[in-house]
Amino acid sequence: MATYAKPLVRQQPHTEEHEDPREHLMHDPLPRGKMNEMVMESMHETNPIFWVITAVLAGIVVFALGYEWYVLIMQGQGTAGVTRPDYWGVFLVNTVFWIGISHAGTFISAILRVMKVESRRPFTRAAELMTTFGLIQAGLSIFMHLGRVWVVYFMVPFPNERRLWPDFHSPLMWDLMAITTYVLCSTMYLFLPLIPDVAMARDRSEGWRKVFYRILALGFRGTEGEWKNLVTAMNIFAFAIIPVMFSVHTIVSWDFAMATRPGWSSTVFGPYFVIGALHSGMAAVAIVLFLLRSTMKHYKYFIRPEHFGTIGMLMLLVSMAWAYFYFNDYIVPWYGGDKWDKLLQEYTETGPLAYLWFTMLIVNIVIPWATLWNKKWRETPWLLASVGLLINVGMYIERYLIIPVGVTITRMPFTWRQYYPRIEIPMTIGTFALFLLLYMLASRLIPLIPVWEVQEGQENHILRKVGKANIPSISELE
Amino acid sequence: MSDSTMLLAVFDDLEPATHAIDKLHEMGVEDHQMNVISGIPFPGRVLGRPSALTNVSRIAMFGALLGMSLGIFLIYGTPALYPLHVGGQPVFPVPMGLIITFEMTMLGLMGLAFIGVFVDSGFPSYTPMEYVPEISDGKIAILFSCPSADQMNFVDALTKVGAESVAPAEARQL
Repeated sequence: MATYAKPLVRQQPHTEEHEDPREHLMHDPLPRGKMNEMVMESMHETNPIFWVITAVLAGIVVFALGYEWYVLIMQGQGTAGVTRPDYWGVFLVNTVFWIGISHAGTFISAILRVMKVESRRPFTRAAELMTTFGLIQAGLSIFMHLGRVWVVYFMVPFPNERRLWPDFHSPLMWDLMAITTYVLCSTMYLFLPLIPDVAMARDRSEGWRKVFYRILALGFRGTEGEWKNLVTAMNIFAFAIIPVMFSVHTIVSWDFAMATRPGWSSTVFGPYFVIGALHSGMAAVAIVLFLLRSTMKHYKYFIRPEHFGTIGMLMLLVSMAWAYFYFNDYIVPWYGGDKWDKLLQEYTETGPLAYLWFTMLIVNIVIPWATLWNKKWRETPWLLASVGLLINVGMYIERYLIIPVGVTITRMPFTWRQYYPRIEIPMTIGTFALFLLLYMLASRLIPLIPVWEVQEGQENHILRKVGKANIPSISELE
Repeated sequence: MSDSTMLLAVFDDLEPATHAIDKLHEMGVEDHQMNVISGIPFPGRVLGRPSALTNVSRIAMFGALLGMSLGIFLIYGTPALYPLHVGGQPVFPVPMGLIITFEMTMLGLMGLAFIGVFVDSGFPSYTPMEYVPEISDGKIAILFSCPSADQMNFVDALTKVGAESVAPAEARQL
């Protein structure tokens, strides 16, 4: 029998033959000292525009979170747009939104670490910082919603003469426990891999910075015992924080789903919220990486198109998963024919805010699917950041449609009214300004690139000749 | 080793450092008398040394038990003191008890894993220690003790296998 092989028409050589392995960070190593120098330089060399932006953001924070909150406290929740039946307004939209943003840090750092996705290495810290700073905004937003924020300690279980005790039957208490656990654990998880990098910064600094890094480095030298302890703890955190991350947004969803309201009482709300959190979080990472790469000196070496490609791929997958869960959440009440569910769906799709519903579907599904399938587009930083920005707009709208719009359609039609945020608007801007401000200040103080993790990855990677191609191989030094 | 000296040998790369460890073994230095200081973690098998011991996992496990106990106390213990009657639900609720117990267990696990790093590594420690800043620039150092009388033999032997410098270890403020 003759062997017949139809040759491919090859006008162009194979892509692999063209691809320079040095395009990948792991195959383009620099001496550790050089990488340290680059990261330190990026922290020290600050453009005057940076301080102008910092001052503007600080001004916004003082006005929006200082003065406006003072007004809210002194004049009461009446200054906000919330009233019957919309007692849950934009403050809670912000809470859910920021908790969603915070999920990206854990997802990228923990899940990608557990799955040994090597391209995670240069941007884990940038993502972990988003978790910590995002949770700060979420916490502030809950306090804004509480109104009488000075009695927040009523939720803490401690014996008191008034015999006040938190009700653990309430999803809001589960929320308190879950968010507190998540804030503490994600901050510890941010700090542990930071220790070797602040030790590096300590070795290369003078003056007040030396004192600052010396305190933070805790006396770390890099002995075998110290590394063993650190790596063991990081592995424990990487595995343990994943279920905590899932629990946090699931419990946030139960704040809604446990109520027997139209549109909220859904068994799919838990995973739907988790995937929504990842959708906005991954998109936010793309934006942050684009900003860091564009503004920080030398970051083009560390954050490369391949990293945007990884995030873009995840964004596409998460977008598909979000669409799947959204459809699940949509089709069951639509088919069920409950009068109030039907009314809420009609109000959302054809009411005065229908444009928001269509915008949400376009930016959360159509745009990611239309763009992110293409590798070249995924690896274009500005394009991925733009898609990320649109996704975040879409996810903010989604939370807005679920919360204030969702509570509009109650089983008492005489209470229906459209919600208009008032003091919530400047205070929302304040949370965004505070997030950016904290991030900008952190970029001057702590190495945002985990240099030791990058070097470790570069040590692990080699190119192996297989036939005519150079195939990247990864050894298991860990 | 009553009359001994601590030496710090600095290497440019991993290969000569592993050869130096073999050499030190040959010269009678035992594993517990040396420590490798590096800018990235190397497992013991890469260095040809036994794996470093850690108590972090045990401490973390203790934390998980502690957290679980606290969670169980909060959800099943305190209602005895402060009974809250919520429509149609028991005073000691099992399903939501699982949520609180889970969160407290994870907080205990990770909280004590974090504290375990401090306890087991002796952090924070701001006293002078044997160290050279070049380590964070990628160099590898071996800190070991040897008989004072043989100091020069050790210096010569390690220099031959590729040490960049071998000198008495000097405790310095980090």
